Amino acid sequence: MKIKLNGKHLEVNGNKTILDICKDNGIKIPTLCYHKNLFPEARCRLCLVELNGKLVTSCSTKPIEGCKIVTKTKKILKARKMNMELMSPGISMDKLGNDFEARKIYEEVGLDNERFKPRKNYKVELGDSLVRDNNKCVNCGRCVQVCSKVQEVHAIDFASRAHNEHVTPYCEKTLAGVACIRCGQCLINCPVGAITEVSHLGKVETALKNKKKQVIVQTAPSIRAALGELFDMKTGSLVTGKMVTALRQCGFDKIFDVDLGADMTIMEESAELVRRIKSNETLPLITTCCPAWILMMEQSFPELIPNMSTCKSPHEMLGALIKSYYAKKAGIDSKDIIVVSIMPCVAKKFESTRPELYTDVDYVLTTRELGRLIKKRNIDFANLPDSEFDPTLGISTGAGDIFGTAGGVMEAALRTTYEVVTKKKLKKVEFKNLHEFKGIKEGSIKLRNKTIRYACANGGANIRELLKHKDDYDFIEMMACPGGCIGGGGQPIYFDDETLKLRSKALYKQDSKKELRKSHENPIVKEIYKKCLGEPGSKKAKKFLHTKYKKRSCF
Amino acid sequence: MQVLRETNLQGLALAKKLGKKGTLELLAKRGLVGRGGASFPTHKKWERALSVKTNERFLICNADEGEPGTFKDKFLIKNNSETLIEGILIAAFVLDAKRCFIYLRAEYDSLRLELEKIIKKVLKKSKMKVSIEIVRGAGAYVCGEETAIIQSIMGRRGQPMEKPPYPTIKGLWGKPTVLNNVTTLTCVPQALLYEDWNPNYRLFSISGEVEHPGVYEWELGVKMSTILGTVKPKGKMKAMSFGCFGGIMPVYKSNRVSPALICDKNCHHGAYSLIFVGEKKNIVDVNLSMAKFYTYESCGKCTPCREGTIRLVELLKKIKSGQATNKDLKLLKELANHIQETSLCGLGASCGNHILTGMKNFKKDYKGFIKKK
Repeated sequence: MKIKLNGKHLEVNGNKTILDICKDNGIKIPTLCYHKNLFPEARCRLCLVELNGKLVTSCSTKPIEGCKIVTKTKKILKARKMNMELMSPGISMDKLGNDFEARKIYEEVGLDNERFKPRKNYKVELGDSLVRDNNKCVNCGRCVQVCSKVQEVHAIDFASRAHNEHVTPYCEKTLAGVACIRCGQCLINCPVGAITEVSHLGKVETALKNKKKQVIVQTAPSIRAALGELFDMKTGSLVTGKMVTALRQCGFDKIFDVDLGADMTIMEESAELVRRIKSNETLPLITTCCPAWILMMEQSFPELIPNMSTCKSPHEMLGALIKSYYAKKAGIDSKDIIVVSIMPCVAKKFESTRPELYTDVDYVLTTRELGRLIKKRNIDFANLPDSEFDPTLGISTGAGDIFGTAGGVMEAALRTTYEVVTKKKLKKVEFKNLHEFKGIKEGSIKLRNKTIRYACANGGANIRELLKHKDDYDFIEMMACPGGCIGGGGQPIYFDDETLKLRSKALYKQDSKKELRKSHENPIVKEIYKKCLGEPGSKKAKKFLHTKYKKRSCF
Repeated sequence: MQVLRETNLQGLALAKKLGKKGTLELLAKRGLVGRGGASFPTHKKWERALSVKTNERFLICNADEGEPGTFKDKFLIKNNSETLIEGILIAAFVLDAKRCFIYLRAEYDSLRLELEKIIKKVLKKSKMKVSIEIVRGAGAYVCGEETAIIQSIMGRRGQPMEKPPYPTIKGLWGKPTVLNNVTTLTCVPQALLYEDWNPNYRLFSISGEVEHPGVYEWELGVKMSTILGTVKPKGKMKAMSFGCFGGIMPVYKSNRVSPALICDKNCHHGAYSLIFVGEKKNIVDVNLSMAKFYTYESCGKCTPCREGTIRLVELLKKIKSGQATNKDLKLLKELANHIQETSLCGLGASCGNHILTGMKNFKKDYKGFIKKK
């Protein structure tokens, strides 16, 4: 198709939107409600361009044969500015956090006129893991679309008409009162920060000041691949060593690695799988590392409770071990220990308040909160030297590292299960079919005379899709966020799948560089079983490392 | 009235005799255009839907008559619904539509039972295997917009969608869908059947400060004095407004009411609903009450309309209070223009019209409120 773009004659693909064509030709157009993975609803009307002299939104309009498109005229700039002004009256630059997308757009469009006064007066909703402030909301609708189309959770939608239109859970309830799974994808996709996590930062800082308490921090596998982004490092930089140094400088007494908890999870889960296959118990076995998925299961698929592994999630396992095994070893009363988990997830905040788990982990910080803490302490993160985790509970394997990316739990479990069952070494440690960037991945592996069919799903919609064929498999991994924990609701805000791919690549790189790459080879895991728990699946292991689920109402 | 002529399924019989192509040709020859306001040739709309290869097409009869001051569809459903159903059946025959919908305005629920009876009766008589379902709106003005109707029928939030794709190509459940107004569909059998059928007759809904409000039929180009003579205004008339969205213009007794004259005053005739405003009224007041209407009826989807309509009310209130300056007047004009130019749907594109035409045609009323330094 021939068009004229800013005076230049071009031959373009007529199926592309004007926005994409402009991007291909290096022309930048400000967008707010547009997101690559979502349907362009053209709500914000910022991406206006002139098509044959008429203003149209470039995100949703396709060119016409021989049309004239202009992207920068006085009229266009004025209209964009007016829409910006209408959308966020009274929002000044200094009130807006640095990490939000809108800031860049405000700077790009320019917000110098403030002719209208703020008019919204909504109550801020403070939940158990998410805070919603509708006064900041610009009704872009990205959270609604992510919740209903990508996650298929349908926890929030628009209500009312005209200037009263606002995002709300069903019947104006709170998120805790509807079938919200706390995945936090709404937060990741919010360009203005109207949805944020419930911060535990203040409580952690108070704990750090308390000399009587030993504050122990544990970091999830996916943090190391994303934390650097908050300090303007390249996406996908591995910052394991720097992160440990920074945590030490922040004043944490011991720094442990959730990777070890992941290794423990693998030992228990793999033992459970073998047991279930041997004694013909309920299959498929479904993993339970993802608290958002567990919540989704309890609300929407309670009939799956017998299929669920009873293993706690890795950080809850390690938390329990810190307060029992480590406390005994170090000779500290477990009451004097405060366990802080750094997680890529907002659902973990909810998880730590579950009555059956709340003793294990005291506070949960997201990656972003950790970034804030480090910035508050004026630590020059990018130039920190590397250091190691505290060895008592800080040695981990590559299997633990890949827990942070979708398919990782499955891969780690298969590595261990294969070797434990067949007593043979794996020829190829890596399962390349699980490394792909896909919503649903599957495969099969032969263990002696039994073929194990496995599948992994990430993202709520894919989970629902996979559950339709769940009986075709023996072992299933579920992750509620797209891409797994690297795309979690607690991670630095990201805009496209490229970021996720780079983060995942970083984790696979860390795995490939490690000498120990299978959970059962971890010397600390061996020691814990020898000295404390006996063997995987033992009574004592059940007491510390396993949990139970219950049916929850959606309303 | 031409539009009340009954056709007793003779129109449908004729259409079947002529075949699809013949029916379309005859409609084109008779010059039937949409009566909803856009005046799009009916046969062209049908042809567009027919050009898509598909196993299913839908027909929607738009009876969501929400424009203030418009009540011609209500009048037709009350008085000539058999012809309307026949029109729907002719369209269903031409389009091969197996499911037809009548999207009935929520406030017209009292007409529903009677309409259902008539549908049953006509369907039985015609022996056509077509279902005609009445879908009730929930009272949103915006659901008169075609894409919003489609969303509403599908059970979604009644908000307009970006066009293209047009409903004739991709409508209900992704299938080609034709939307026609009640009056248009009622005219279909009449236009087919009667050779003396006049395409220039329009229904006028008259309201406001007149002795005899109601639905009248006149030919386009009717003299203003004829209209005034019939409806008997209470005193001297200052202005007439075309619903809310069409704009407001002075009443010229000597003029003829035709699209050309109305467009000349930057107004839009729409479905010819004339609201008369007496000379004692101030246009700022009229505009304010219309602007308030839009702050409730904007769907809230896109920024300019959602946020702009409430700001228009704020500005008009300020003007009325006498606190406004010329700067506010300029902003009012800029904002109204902005909403029209950048909104997604027809509601947004017309919701500032009454203010713009009010400011242009009744400068004195606005100036009177402006603070003098």
